[in-house]
Amino acid sequence: MSEPKTNPSGLIFFLQIFSISLIWIMVVSVITWILNLISLSRYLHDAQNATLIISLVVLPIFTLLAGILTYVFIGIRKARPHD
Amino acid sequence: MTKWGMVIDLNKCTGCGACVNACRIENNIPNVGEEEAQKGRALDWMQIVTEYEGEYPDVRVTHIPRPCFQCDNPPCTKVCPVHATFLNEEGLVGQVYYRCIGCRFCMAACPYSAKKFNYFEPDIPESYEGIRNPDVTRRMKGVVEKCSFCHHRLSLAKDLARFENRELREEDFQPACVESCPADAMTFGDLENPDHRVATLIHSSRAFRLDEELGTDPKVYYLKKEDK
Amino acid sequence: MDALRKDPDYTLYRPILESDRRFYWAIGFLGAVVVWAIVMYIRQLVYGLGVTGLNRTVTWGFYIINFVFFIGVSHAGTLISAILRLSQAEWRRPITRMAEVITAIVLAIGGLHPIIDLGRPDRVLNVFFYGRLQSPLLWDVTAISLYFTASTVYLYVPLIPDIALLRDHTTKFKKLYTWLSWGYVGTERQKHVLERAMSILMVVVIPVAVSVHTVISYIFSMTLQSGWHSTIFGPYFVTGAIFSGTATLLVVMIFFRKFYHLENYLKEIHFQYLSVLLLVFALLWGYFTFSEFLTGIYGNEPMEMRVIQFKFSGAYAPFFWMMVLLNFVIPVIILAFKKLKKIPGILVASFSVIIGMWLERLIIIVPSLSNPRLPVVSEPYIPSLTEWSLFAGGVAAFCMMFLLFSKVFPLISIWEIKDGRAEGLEAVKERLESYLPDTDVAGEGA
Ligand code: SF4
Ligand code: SF4
Repeated sequence: MSEPKTNPSGLIFFLQIFSISLIWIMVVSVITWILNLISLSRYLHDAQNATLIISLVVLPIFTLLAGILTYVFIGIRKARPHD
Repeated sequence: MTKWGMVIDLNKCTGCGACVNACRIENNIPNVGEEEAQKGRALDWMQIVTEYEGEYPDVRVTHIPRPCFQCDNPPCTKVCPVHATFLNEEGLVGQVYYRCIGCRFCMAACPYSAKKFNYFEPDIPESYEGIRNPDVTRRMKGVVEKCSFCHHRLSLAKDLARFENRELREEDFQPACVESCPADAMTFGDLENPDHRVATLIHSSRAFRLDEELGTDPKVYYLKKEDK
Repeated sequence: MDALRKDPDYTLYRPILESDRRFYWAIGFLGAVVVWAIVMYIRQLVYGLGVTGLNRTVTWGFYIINFVFFIGVSHAGTLISAILRLSQAEWRRPITRMAEVITAIVLAIGGLHPIIDLGRPDRVLNVFFYGRLQSPLLWDVTAISLYFTASTVYLYVPLIPDIALLRDHTTKFKKLYTWLSWGYVGTERQKHVLERAMSILMVVVIPVAVSVHTVISYIFSMTLQSGWHSTIFGPYFVTGAIFSGTATLLVVMIFFRKFYHLENYLKEIHFQYLSVLLLVFALLWGYFTFSEFLTGIYGNEPMEMRVIQFKFSGAYAPFFWMMVLLNFVIPVIILAFKKLKKIPGILVASFSVIIGMWLERLIIIVPSLSNPRLPVVSEPYIPSLTEWSLFAGGVAAFCMMFLLFSKVFPLISIWEIKDGRAEGLEAVKERLESYLPDTDVAGEGA
């Protein structure tokens, strides 16, 4: 088969790196957002426990999802046959 | 701690509607026009709720003026996603028009239908120019508003008291509806200050609150209507 | 190209390679509806929410109903596919992809509805700057974004081998396929990576899916409103969600089976199996509805009774009884009899469930708002043209995006079908043998 099958050209390699970073940018912004809400609720003394508990549930799942995707991407790329 | 509250004597209230009008003028409440009012979108903060009991011809009518009850455990503030409605330390439930995103969750959560939503850009006619109250923010379309116990008057009264170097007195801060009531049915003051009339009135045997069983702890008390 | 034509699964590639006129007509029509909806929305932006039929007491209408409805529909997909995969049901192979696509698309559309509903959409970012996690609305924002991420990932990971197939065998969208397939060629190690990722995802996606609709029901049950303040709402909504989602999945399957001639892949038996699920959920739904109303009627609390009477014999009685008919009577009758349980019957039952579930959301939301605690005047809620248009726009956007998806990626997982042929039979035989009691042990004893 043609060459770009397993050894991506520049543009595609860039896009792939870009998509991985996009996922992590999302995770980081979600974390920043939730941290912002926590500090806000502490500052205003407004339902601090609820805020903390909800954050503790949400954050690991987001991170896990991004982790899985990264694992898949890198796993597949690494395991491709070298030509 | 101060805790502003109101007592409304249903024996005295005649349902004349003076408070509703006083509130409209005081708080720059826009006139939505007849067509919109028919659709049920009038913006009055103070509403007179009428309760009928019994069958014709033996009907008993009770008029219940209903401002926002400034609940001490307000269900409306808990659900607001953006801190646009909140309970302050003087027991007033505030509304931040410039932050509200207009989700109307607080309206759905308020058991007393006290909140109003601006369905259109409020239209205040030219002829209102002279009588608009400069102390009250004009609302924009798409936000929720409600009775504030004339909070702007409290700020003024506090400033005045500070200027004159004295304590705030009961008569310094009275909402527009209370002032305007011709039957003298409403009393307003600090529920926790024994010098204020309301503090004793709420212990009257006739005193009750609407839907008290919900645990919202409203700060507007009513004195039961009694047949004379 | 010719090699591909000889592939036994060429039918699955065909929608991507060839488009007939019907497709363009459909896209044109759906696109027009969507554009119309966008125009109506812009009008709403300019004039304010006054262009809807909402009023002082009924402050939530079509937008919130559709929000709950669409998110409900999105439930079937990922949940069904995850459960079928986890339980290693072999008949899942041609179904999972469609289910997952429905989820991802409907979720995106449903998630927009709260924003459409806002009075000040320009301030929506306040949710990020000044949000309060105590508000159930924020729970929704987090749960839905989480579910959307999870279900997109869950759609994408099993898609990778198919993308690799497309990259190798077709000439269209070469760059896109190369990008998205990450150099997958199907080596042992790559397969292993995919399997590991999928088994983690399946386990993560199920609780996330359940939590999303529970959280949506909390918008209502966290308030003190009569008819809403109920502990049963979480599971009730989840049941309803899977119910409507299964029905949608069936309709989509029946439709695309005809449209793309997939009769060879989606056989009668698949519909039979899925319709059992529909029947179970119809019964479950009936059970939940019964308990919800029985507790209300038995308690006879005046406010609660007012709302119930409004539904049973008041202004909303036609909708209520219609809902019971569509959600319970019709599907149960159709699906309980073998004679009616053919594809046309299943189609009727599914449509009736979809409409019925939409009515259910209406019945839950509007009557409680039209009966405020205090006897303030409450005007009836009559949805305006804007609301109908946006509703139509939402449905059209779903159909359009689904069609477009089917033109870029296969609607039925090609590699899973091939795997099923190659390994499935052996695996099932082995599995079955491991369930059966060993014969030789008994022989020894004798
Ligand atoms: S009466 Fe309604 S709006 Fe006023 S504080 Fe109570 S719940 Fe909130
Ligand atoms: S309408 Fe405004 S005040 Fe009410 S809950 Fe929503 S953001 Fe808060």
